[in-house]
Amino acid sequence: MAQSSALPVEQYNYDIVRKFTIVAMVFAVLGMTVGVFIACELAWPFLNFDVPALTFGRLRPVHTTLVIFGFGGSALFATSYYVVQRTSQARLAFPWLAEFTFWGWTGGVALGALTYMLGITQGREYAEFEWPLDIAITLVWVSYFAVYVETLRRRSQPHIYVANWFYLAFILAVALLHIFNNLAVPVSLTKSYSLFAGVQDAMTQWWYGHNAVGFFLTAAFLGMMYYFVPKQAGRPVYSYRLSIIHFWALIFLYMWAGGHHLHWTSLPDWVSTLSATFSVLLLMPSWGGMINGIMTLSGAWDKLRSDPIMLFLITSLSFYGMSTFEGPLMSLKSVNALSHYTDWTIGHVHSGALGWVALVSFGAFYHLIPRLWGAKLYSQALVYVHFWLATIGIVLYITSMWVAGIGQGLMLRSFDDYGNLAYTFIETVEFMHTPYIWRALGGAFFVAGVLVMVYNMVMTLRTARREQAAIEAKLAAKMAKA
Amino acid sequence: MSDNTPNVQQQSSAVQTTGHAWDGDLQEYNNPLPRWWLWSFYATAVFSVLYWFIYPSWPVGDTWIKGFGTVNYTVTDQASGKEEEREYRWNTRTLLLEDLGAATNDPQRKDMLAKVQAASYDQIVKDPKMMEFVRSVGRGLFGDNCAACHGRGGQGVVGLYPNLTDDDWLWGGGMDSIHETLVQGRSGFMPAFGAVLKPDQLDDVAEYVLTLSNEAQPNEASERGKAIFQGQVGGCAYCHGADAKGLPSQGAANLTDKIWAIADVSAQKSVQDKKAAIKDFVAKGVNNTRVMPGWRDRLSPTDIKLLAVYVHQLGGAQ
Repeated sequence: MAQSSALPVEQYNYDIVRKFTIVAMVFAVLGMTVGVFIACELAWPFLNFDVPALTFGRLRPVHTTLVIFGFGGSALFATSYYVVQRTSQARLAFPWLAEFTFWGWTGGVALGALTYMLGITQGREYAEFEWPLDIAITLVWVSYFAVYVETLRRRSQPHIYVANWFYLAFILAVALLHIFNNLAVPVSLTKSYSLFAGVQDAMTQWWYGHNAVGFFLTAAFLGMMYYFVPKQAGRPVYSYRLSIIHFWALIFLYMWAGGHHLHWTSLPDWVSTLSATFSVLLLMPSWGGMINGIMTLSGAWDKLRSDPIMLFLITSLSFYGMSTFEGPLMSLKSVNALSHYTDWTIGHVHSGALGWVALVSFGAFYHLIPRLWGAKLYSQALVYVHFWLATIGIVLYITSMWVAGIGQGLMLRSFDDYGNLAYTFIETVEFMHTPYIWRALGGAFFVAGVLVMVYNMVMTLRTARREQAAIEAKLAAKMAKA
Repeated sequence: MSDNTPNVQQQSSAVQTTGHAWDGDLQEYNNPLPRWWLWSFYATAVFSVLYWFIYPSWPVGDTWIKGFGTVNYTVTDQASGKEEEREYRWNTRTLLLEDLGAATNDPQRKDMLAKVQAASYDQIVKDPKMMEFVRSVGRGLFGDNCAACHGRGGQGVVGLYPNLTDDDWLWGGGMDSIHETLVQGRSGFMPAFGAVLKPDQLDDVAEYVLTLSNEAQPNEASERGKAIFQGQVGGCAYCHGADAKGLPSQGAANLTDKIWAIADVSAQKSVQDKKAAIKDFVAKGVNNTRVMPGWRDRLSPTDIKLLAVYVHQLGGAQ
């Protein structure tokens, strides 16, 4: 058969992986830029220019949706499709369905962001999509599940690699969470009312919200880690036994912890107590993943000096360890009394989101890009530049939020000699102005890093295209001669 | 592909891999669980069990583990004023009562509150200790209720919310007037003269108003304006007074000082611009744009009393 392309037919379906990789980076730039903008709005409120679509309330879900589902979700689609094929030694099943997951997911996220700017929202954090989009997302997700499971079933390996356990747990749990949290009665195309009421509604939302963190942002990215860390290090995973124990502990314990988002509310005290303890119990299972990742490098630590991709992966695991320590701490009732409703929570989320989720994804992408496009990475030095911009950004972000959050928490609970509140609310807001500026700066550093990565990626793709064109030209010349 | 060839080096350690390999070189060692990890995991379990017995936790049958933690708080009977110490098992509702009780039952606070309640305004102002207390309570009361409009220091916003720190009081700066303002609220009104007076008449009035505070020298135009101001045509003197010193009962401003509450005259540099600012304002008047709500349904009489003294001591009061 005459082939127009010089490349042989790929053993695996990389086309879908390439698409998701590109769109993940597009969403990263968009979502993180919106993040920096709303961070600036908090520091300088005039920036909303009295345009409703640009107010913090509208743009905040745009930011979270674009980064979590747009960037994070697409990164998971890309890597899971890559990992499941390579570790199963099977080509992706149902390619047309996989194609549908790409267009459905990308379109759903983009439409969601647009509807939030128009003020159409369910008002449920991280589940703001109104019901028509919820249904569309459900269809995409079921397709994802079908493609993934069928590919696993077609594997030519007797055993299922650990990364796939995590990816599969993530797909199953997210389906469950998405469907139950979004049960609602539609009253029009753009408005619906939750099936739950009062504290049950709040509990359902945070059962969803925390497990979105647990399964979307943790379990799934651990799956990513379990493939790319040993692969990049060229060393076996540290402990199979640890992976089994921490996997099942994580899966079992996470489901109970959501109530800690509702400490000191009308949530019954016993639920709040249980969710605090399940959060504490989560500490070591979470660290199991960190240990397994970091110890994989044991005996090859020198790679941290020579391989910037390893630097991304190992630093992401360190941030993962740090934020999974901070989480249980904040879930204790007494600590939460200080941290709840303050920016400490925002800082905590971002140490996980930027430090863990984003860094491990960048590491995975830097590993993937040369393999997907068949060209050497344009610049190794720029990977270092990205790494330092990102790390400085994260440190600025987290520390400024510690100052803002713990500072405000302490101000709100301090009394003078007469037992009167020492500060008014507005004074705590004034206090946060400076940390807010630092936070915006940290975000800007992080976005700058992402832009460096995009540049590096575009240049690599260009080289790949040029090289392929050269080969094709040579081939054509040969053919003409012959 | 090159990364399909296994490149795992033989380990010198005794630890074996599981024997499986994926994607060429992906393997797993079978290291035992790190001891410190396992013991830490057990420790979190022990901690959790202890936590379950300190706080209310697991439902058991038709009851639940109530926890050993206790909360003590004092309730004051509203009718008799009797205090009663109560002890409850730990729960967030009693904890809130304890917190609220700790504030209201603070002996020093209770003492001062009783003193302030009994004292007249004069007595409070003369007593430094009571004034210290007023400032302590007032800061929070003012910051949480008044500062949204009047600013945290009471400086106000020209054109929108009166400055509470200067000498000028639309509705009176005495303690009783401030008290009345707080209780009842205020609604400022001035008719729009744009429909009544011709543009050149408005010019004349503006010219005259400027001479009242020596912002401009009297001239022919200001004399014409004076006639309108004092006479039947404008009738400004009915509210602002023949001496233009204002009428607190109507919320009519004193026009003879250089303090401007609504028309932003002070910010204008030239006499022309100052005149234009006044003219514009007189033409539009004030209707439903300067409303202060009454606080009698939201704040207790004691809070209002404390707040009145607090506002009074911000400066410029009479």
